[in-house]
Amino acid sequence: MEKISEGAEAEIYDAKVLGRSAILKYRIEKGYRTRPLDYRIRSERTKSEAKIMARASARGAMVPKVLLIDGYGIYIEKLDGAMLNAMMDRFEKQKEKMRKILEEAGKQLGMLHNADIVHGDYTPANILVTPEGVVYVIDFGLAEITNSVEEKALDLLLMKRSISKTLYPIFEDSYRKSHGDSKSVLLKLGDIERRGRYQTRTLITG
Amino acid sequence: MAVIGIESSAHTLGVGIADKGKVLANEKMMYDVGTTGIIPAKAAEQHIENIGSVIGAALSKAGMDKSGITGIGYTKGPGLGPCLRVGQLAAKTLSMELKVPIVPVNHAIGHIEVARHVSGAKDPIVLYVSGGNSQILGIINEPFRHYHVFGETFDIGVGNMLDSFARAAKLNPAWGSSVAKLAEGGKYIQMPYTVKGMDFTFTGLLTNAVKMLEANDPRDVAYSMQETAFAMLCEAIERAMLLTKKREVLLSGGVAQSKRLKEMLEIMTATHNGAVYAAPNEFNADNGAMIAIVAEKMLDTGMQKKPEDCDINQKYRADAAEIRW
Repeated sequence: MEKISEGAEAEIYDAKVLGRSAILKYRIEKGYRTRPLDYRIRSERTKSEAKIMARASARGAMVPKVLLIDGYGIYIEKLDGAMLNAMMDRFEKQKEKMRKILEEAGKQLGMLHNADIVHGDYTPANILVTPEGVVYVIDFGLAEITNSVEEKALDLLLMKRSISKTLYPIFEDSYRKSHGDSKSVLLKLGDIERRGRYQTRTLITG
Repeated sequence: MAVIGIESSAHTLGVGIADKGKVLANEKMMYDVGTTGIIPAKAAEQHIENIGSVIGAALSKAGMDKSGITGIGYTKGPGLGPCLRVGQLAAKTLSMELKVPIVPVNHAIGHIEVARHVSGAKDPIVLYVSGGNSQILGIINEPFRHYHVFGETFDIGVGNMLDSFARAAKLNPAWGSSVAKLAEGGKYIQMPYTVKGMDFTFTGLLTNAVKMLEANDPRDVAYSMQETAFAMLCEAIERAMLLTKKREVLLSGGVAQSKRLKEMLEIMTATHNGAVYAAPNEFNADNGAMIAIVAEKMLDTGMQKKPEDCDINQKYRADAAEIRW
């Protein structure tokens, strides 16, 4: 299998499941952790990620399908497309297309939050756009199931810090229409931004 | 020609003298925290009684008298108000008496910068672990050159957790050394593990560990708590390393004295062709030399303050301090 990329906790490989193109996300062993803790973290997170993706899918959000779970690895349907962060500079040329993508990204986050799924790393680097313009949310490695308004607000904050001031309102408007309790989440977002620690902490995204 | 630094943010009263980046003296006197922890007013009282003699000891160690001092630095914060006041007052008095420039120094920056200075790290990701704080930082140039906080504890510092556990286990709290000793030969028991991106929390782990002392072998509890806490720090800093593509990890602060933490970081960084940098332990524990070293860099880059602007700030954040050098 060919390695496509490498993150802090997992490696991504090109794979095939029953003849179908897939990617394998494999959580790697960390030599610094005592063995039982290492096994526990890797297996818990693998199971939790697959469970959250299935839940998101069941609630109508656009996420790639989980094909198979095997120990510390998840096989996920492989999608064609580009990440939103790589498309940002096209905004001026393709205003209408970009507007639709951002609306869709806002709508998808609203749907995830309706299902009490917090993504944990909701940035343009985790929004995939297919050649047909369909928007998918990927990488649920840091996702959690919680009804915490603060956690939901942090998903918005991360996106806010990752895209320009002109683009963010498009995203937020669409989120507002899609999430049932967007009022509390947006109020909380204001609170968080007024707090000292987030004022001095500019978020940097890769 | 020398800069004197006074550190009095908590139980340690330290006076250091530096000249062109070289430490000439690093004297200290410590308030005994005993089993009750630190009582700020009592510690400050002891600092006041001893400040004159510790300054005297540092000067004689450096082989000089007061007239040789060309600059003064003191800890502005973060720390305990009554304790910080002692260093501030002594520094201002000295500055007026000797008519030499004075500069306030951030305590965390003191630890980090002295470690960077003596270890030779150039542009590291920093793991700053002390009693009151635990942060992951790195220098960025916008909007001004400073240590950006990539991640930090949402509740207590890891040192605070180790000390509180040590007290519950009837051990002498000392940046985790007594916990590390107890942990030798322990077996792993499952404990709460909380990392969110590059941030982490320790109170859940502490509460759980203290409760587990009732029905488990204390060695197993100490081992499991230490392993869990340090693994959390390693995971967060690994993420920061990959995000920033920095390859040097600088370990600083009181808990940097832990051998196990350093060993775990070495295993982690080796998988990314990186390396761990740290200072000798005399600079990881609170000390005056780190304030002297940073004060000299600040004075050299024109950051001196008028005595009337030399304040203290108990919650002075590391990311609010400018790094001009």
